[in-house]
Amino acid sequence: MMLDGRIFGRMALFGTAYLTLGFILLPLFFVTWLAFFAQEIPSFPPEGYTLKWFGAIADNRNFATGFLTSLQVAIAATLIGLALGVPASLILARQTFLGSSAINQLLLLPIVVPGIVLGTSIYVFQIETEIATGLPVLGSMGGLVAGHALLVIPWTVRLVTASLTGLDRAAEEAAQSLGADQWTTFRRVTLAAIRPGVVAAALFGFVASFGNLEMSLFLVAPGSITLPIAILQYLEWKIDPTVAAVSVLQIALIGGAMIITDRYVKLARVV
Amino acid sequence: MAIARDRPAGEQGSFTAAGLLVPATLFVAIGLLVPIAILLRYSLNAFEPGKLMVDAFTIANYVKFFTDPFYLQVLWRTIRVSVACTAACLIFGFPLAYVLARTRSPYKNLLVMLVVLPLFVGNAVRAAGWMVAFGSKGFVNSTLMGMGMISTPLEIMYTETAVVIGIIAVNLPFMVLTLQSVIEGIDRNVEEAAFSLGAPPMAMARRVLFPLALPGILAGVILTFILAMNAYATPVLLGGPKFQTMGPLVFSTFAQQNNWPFGAAVSFVLMTATLVLTLLSSLLIRRSAR
Repeated sequence: MMLDGRIFGRMALFGTAYLTLGFILLPLFFVTWLAFFAQEIPSFPPEGYTLKWFGAIADNRNFATGFLTSLQVAIAATLIGLALGVPASLILARQTFLGSSAINQLLLLPIVVPGIVLGTSIYVFQIETEIATGLPVLGSMGGLVAGHALLVIPWTVRLVTASLTGLDRAAEEAAQSLGADQWTTFRRVTLAAIRPGVVAAALFGFVASFGNLEMSLFLVAPGSITLPIAILQYLEWKIDPTVAAVSVLQIALIGGAMIITDRYVKLARVV
Repeated sequence: MAIARDRPAGEQGSFTAAGLLVPATLFVAIGLLVPIAILLRYSLNAFEPGKLMVDAFTIANYVKFFTDPFYLQVLWRTIRVSVACTAACLIFGFPLAYVLARTRSPYKNLLVMLVVLPLFVGNAVRAAGWMVAFGSKGFVNSTLMGMGMISTPLEIMYTETAVVIGIIAVNLPFMVLTLQSVIEGIDRNVEEAAFSLGAPPMAMARRVLFPLALPGILAGVILTFILAMNAYATPVLLGGPKFQTMGPLVFSTFAQQNNWPFGAAVSFVLMTATLVLTLLSSLLIRRSAR
């Protein structure tokens, strides 16, 4: 009787778990299916299948320019975010001092503050900066990149500090006592240890920036566009296999990036 | 500033430490805290049509929000949707998180990637998937009509149901990953101990697993609730223009009506409501766990 209860419990547990996983993946399945429909209207069952919509993507200027803008912004924001976040993580993971936990919390804040509030705040900040300095900040590429860099820092701090807590300080001291100078020690011991964390941070930061919608909505110049905004605006108008094909490309790109990253650092261990 | 505790190097070490830490700290402080302060100041300004924003020091924008039934209804709808989504995420997310945390399968990494992938793909793309399923000629209606279960298509698109389903799917990975990391930290032996003492699975879960997983449950609930309160793409695409929630309201007030003071006030109402309800829910969860 008791054993039956456990077996039934296990079946219910696994059943619910895999149904939930299926539910999470369901929208990706539907959008991928639509990308191959022969007819333009998303009606079921499909009249046939074709690859022609992938060719139609290039005809839509918004998708092409949006993709390039998103790519440039995400690369620049990731580099800036890593340049600021990695050194800070080195200190935060190693040293405790007055206010260190407050600084840690502050650096994690940008992914906790809701996107839409972050967007409005940075928008009014850029307005005030433009008034104060006369520089064209609002709607500039620099303004957009700076906003996105803010999203990369929390991921960097979280993942790099996590990878450093596992490193024994003695390894660095051993290197130094064997005659390595500070720079060599940093390069050969510390950097080697945090590399998985940095790779994961680069991936998460890049994706957070590339997929960001709410902040970009406020910060892009009129007429300028990022890929998520292009997809949103298209979908507000209609859904058809062309936008589905764009989505499939995005899913493939991000899936590919995840698989490559997974070779350096097991995602199951960092998320 | 930096008073190093575990480093005898003294002066020089502290200077290096400060040099490494200060740029990021300044960047986030100036890029995040200052903007929020300016936003708060904007919300106390006045709005005159034609002149946009007028410097003032008034709570008129907040009064306007809390005295207009339309805005109160938007706030209430947002809270209702968020509570429903968060509860569903917890109920359906826990079993998946548990299975992911306890599995010894060689495919564990793949399973985790399948949970993370949708998270990375973006909300608009996932909303597109639901639009394919929910449309009047979409998968759900075609299937049900094909089976003869309904004769006219169901109205699923542009309803609260569609938005709730969409947000649950968006937020589930966050809940699952948060719970998984906490469950992995719970010693499997305590579960086995409960079983060997004769506890049925549900009693084990209630008396052993849930109390130990409480920090994860709290963190997951808080995270998914914040995300649901502030959802943008999902309500815009699945709810349509008539289904107003707070996120889209902030954007339209700001960017389309150019009413910055009122938009700023709506932002602050949203942020405060999220914060208060988050605190309330964590109190509630801690209490019911005792």
